[in-house]
Amino acid sequence: MSSKESFTQISPSEFFYRNRDLAGFSNPTRSLYTAVREFVENSLDACDHGGILADVHMSIKAVDAEKPDPKQYILTVRDNGPGIESNHVPLAFGTVLYGSKFGLKQARGMFGLGATMAILYGQITTNKPVIVKSSTDGKTQDEYEMLLDIQKNKPVILKHETKEVSKTGLSVSICLEGDYAKAGSKIRDYVYQTSLITPYATITFDDPKGEKYRYTKVIRTMPPSPTVIRPHPHGIDVETIRRMLLDTHYQIPTVDDNMISKVRKELGLSNKNLSHSEIMNKAQKKWKTLTRPVRIVMALMSFLKMDFEKLSKTTIEEIDVGNKKLTYWDFGESQSISVDMDPESFYYKQLANTVQGETLTSFLTKRFQRVGPTTALKFAEYAKFKPEQRIGTMTNQELVKLTDGLQSFDDFMAPDPSCLAPLGESPLKKGMERFFEPDFLEVVQRGASAYSGFPFVIEMGIAYGGKISSHGMKVYRFANRIPLLYDEGSDVVLKVVNDTDWSRYKIKGEPPLVIVSHICSTRVPYKTVGKENVADRPEIERELKLALLSLSRKLSSFMSKRGQAEAAIKRKNLYSKYIPLIAQFCTELAGKKKEPNYKKMITEEPIVEEET
Amino acid sequence: MKKKPKKKAAEDKQNTLTELLKKHGAQIYDDLDKGNFPKFSIPSRSVSNIVYDKKIRQYILGTNTAVRSSRNTSQLRAFTQLMWLAFFANRLTGQKKSSTLRDVYYSSQAFEVDFEDQSESDNIIVDLEAVLSSPRESFHVFPEERSSVFGDLTIEYTVPGYEGKKTNLSDHPDGYAIGPSLTSSEFTGTSAEVVIAIEKGGLFTRFVEEQVDKKFKAIIVDTGGQAPRSTRTLLKRLHDELSLPVVILTDGDVYGEHIAMVIKSGSANAAHLRELTVPDAKWVGVWATDIEKYKLPTIPMTESDIKRCHDLLKDPRYQEGIWKKELEVFIKIKRKAELEAFSKYGLTNITDKYLPQKLEIAKSL
Repeated sequence: MSSKESFTQISPSEFFYRNRDLAGFSNPTRSLYTAVREFVENSLDACDHGGILADVHMSIKAVDAEKPDPKQYILTVRDNGPGIESNHVPLAFGTVLYGSKFGLKQARGMFGLGATMAILYGQITTNKPVIVKSSTDGKTQDEYEMLLDIQKNKPVILKHETKEVSKTGLSVSICLEGDYAKAGSKIRDYVYQTSLITPYATITFDDPKGEKYRYTKVIRTMPPSPTVIRPHPHGIDVETIRRMLLDTHYQIPTVDDNMISKVRKELGLSNKNLSHSEIMNKAQKKWKTLTRPVRIVMALMSFLKMDFEKLSKTTIEEIDVGNKKLTYWDFGESQSISVDMDPESFYYKQLANTVQGETLTSFLTKRFQRVGPTTALKFAEYAKFKPEQRIGTMTNQELVKLTDGLQSFDDFMAPDPSCLAPLGESPLKKGMERFFEPDFLEVVQRGASAYSGFPFVIEMGIAYGGKISSHGMKVYRFANRIPLLYDEGSDVVLKVVNDTDWSRYKIKGEPPLVIVSHICSTRVPYKTVGKENVADRPEIERELKLALLSLSRKLSSFMSKRGQAEAAIKRKNLYSKYIPLIAQFCTELAGKKKEPNYKKMITEEPIVEEET
Repeated sequence: MKKKPKKKAAEDKQNTLTELLKKHGAQIYDDLDKGNFPKFSIPSRSVSNIVYDKKIRQYILGTNTAVRSSRNTSQLRAFTQLMWLAFFANRLTGQKKSSTLRDVYYSSQAFEVDFEDQSESDNIIVDLEAVLSSPRESFHVFPEERSSVFGDLTIEYTVPGYEGKKTNLSDHPDGYAIGPSLTSSEFTGTSAEVVIAIEKGGLFTRFVEEQVDKKFKAIIVDTGGQAPRSTRTLLKRLHDELSLPVVILTDGDVYGEHIAMVIKSGSANAAHLRELTVPDAKWVGVWATDIEKYKLPTIPMTESDIKRCHDLLKDPRYQEGIWKKELEVFIKIKRKAELEAFSKYGLTNITDKYLPQKLEIAKSL
């Protein structure tokens, strides 16, 4: 057995290259569809983010139309969004794991990885570069032609040009192997349904056969955009806590020349050489405007009693809060020196905070949404922590205990839904109106609710009759403004719809009925990695049921009114058919010559009878 | 001795009916003329509304009525059908034409009144019977099946083409079919003193051959099993108009006994009619007790025969007299005998021995 094993680190690009199935690039059909989704969703997200009503133009062209599928296609997606700064373009499209979507708010994609994956897939199947055109100012446009260096996870720029343009926006064009014959219907469904749930955007699609699909915007106002918010305690795990601690637990700054010049700048001392006490006085006066690292340097200086000159020749070795000792290395004397710290001093507290982190109550109130001091104290009691315990001093076991407590404590307020971006009742209604032109249309937006600390909002619409074909009930499912096209069998929305006894709402047979369901959440509980069906969380199921219930009641009253109107017409027809016959027969029976004057009985609006 | 029947009995009846139809027609005409939706009130024929009336000794309809309104769209069609039938019946009687159930069904298609099938039109015919309290024969809808009559009875036809023409019903030895022309004729004279209704055609022929009509001064009626309604109407008229007693001879089994009962007191599904019964009619045989008495060859009763006996024992009409007694004997002996069984003792045994004895007994029943 060899004692030497070689461990090589692989780059993220390399990793995705080897595991592209995971990201939805397993075969030419699936890959073409996934690439379309990634680019369109990126464009829509970028426009939403920039507060711009999106115009997204997509085209798929065959490189050689004569060839049979699967073959090479050029996929281009162009938008009118804010664009990407020229110097970010190579990194954004030329490396994997370079994204901007790491905050906690609702967005279509999660990290912006998919687009790079599509580019990577295009490159490995066709060996052609990606072409990115971006303009952020609406005047000049940067055009890049790039390849990815998979091993190094770095972009290789083949060409970079600048052009004059009149609009902002981004255009991405890749060449990839795809199978439009098989993926076509899926892509067309995707474009259609995306337009349905994005009525404030214009989406067009030119397909390889020359078909043009145009869905223009029906409303000109953006739904309110979501805000980035702090996490909810219920939605937290140990790893997240650990990362949050790393953030708050500030490092002791290295006191190098850079730092010293930063300190000088903040104190407004530029080149002046002041004594230690003069420096400390200045700092006292300016304390409120100082940044955190500078404050720490000042705190250190208060105990070291040094001026800048001397400070530059030392390095801090240890801050021992427990024993109130500060140890530093003096380059001049080449030895370690310890000084005592006065625990009553203002600067001592500053250092203690830095080293040990915040107190538990401060951590809870500042780092989580909707936790106030009272709740924080209650929680400390519940989880058996001292409220003033510094989180920097917690052991691993205590962290696990803290996490368990956060997840199980019932008295936290419900998650803040301001990070959600539901479409809104009016836009949903207008979107559905345009697509279905129904006789009956109702929409509802439920209030915010939460499961496991993740807020969610259900929006639902129901449409009946009109131009809807009567091939039975059709359910359009959306999550975070993305259509869920497949695997609908096991979806929670379908479950709720199928569990409904429709005959109670006067719906029978193969009704011309459409249901649109939109789940908005910072984390949609998908059942599978394919992200096509939503798991049946009881909280979500309950909200869906309530939404459907309120809509079907309205539908039911529409149906009975419609039923009454139909019955009235039917009745009129029956009267017109039979009353003249009765008149004819009774005239002869009664031995009369002239028929009775029954005309007004069949011309007048018939009286609507009460149902018994 | 010739009996003097009431003159023009058949015609009177017809006129009453025509008047009734006209009255209903006028009522509906007025309603329509005023812009009101006309409606009919029809006695309910549901099982719960059929009750036995001890006084008149037959099943009758109770007081429940069903209103059929032309305003109600689910009844409008049936209302129109009923109106059409009244209209059609009026034409039939006015023109003295006859029709059958099947005929009515097809006739409706000449107008815009359509029946889904014959059972729908049959049902409407029964509705009209109930409204008019008259059997369908009174408005010239006759059954397909025919039974026969033979004996000294002179009739005068009223049907078109034969008006005033007379026939004596003993002129043809096969008997006369009881059809529309016979049913609507007037009775002008008879020397008969009794009517003998007999269940089977074979025995009817034997009775004619053996001159039962002359020997017993009888009018012989073949009921052909369960008597058709025109036959029952004829029996009723012979009894009512000519004051002739009616005796019934059937097979010696539970079905025979019930054939006699239906002639006497009608059936539950004709509870809406009062013109079909002969309450004074007498069942003279073959009784269960006759089987032993005359030593008749027998057949064992089947399970369903016995069940039928038990069912009839619950019927209010079988609670007394020979009706109850004979049923109980049938159940006891579990055997039955047919009219033909008398042939064991010679072909004329039934007319020579049995019939005279039974006619004698009938007087005391």
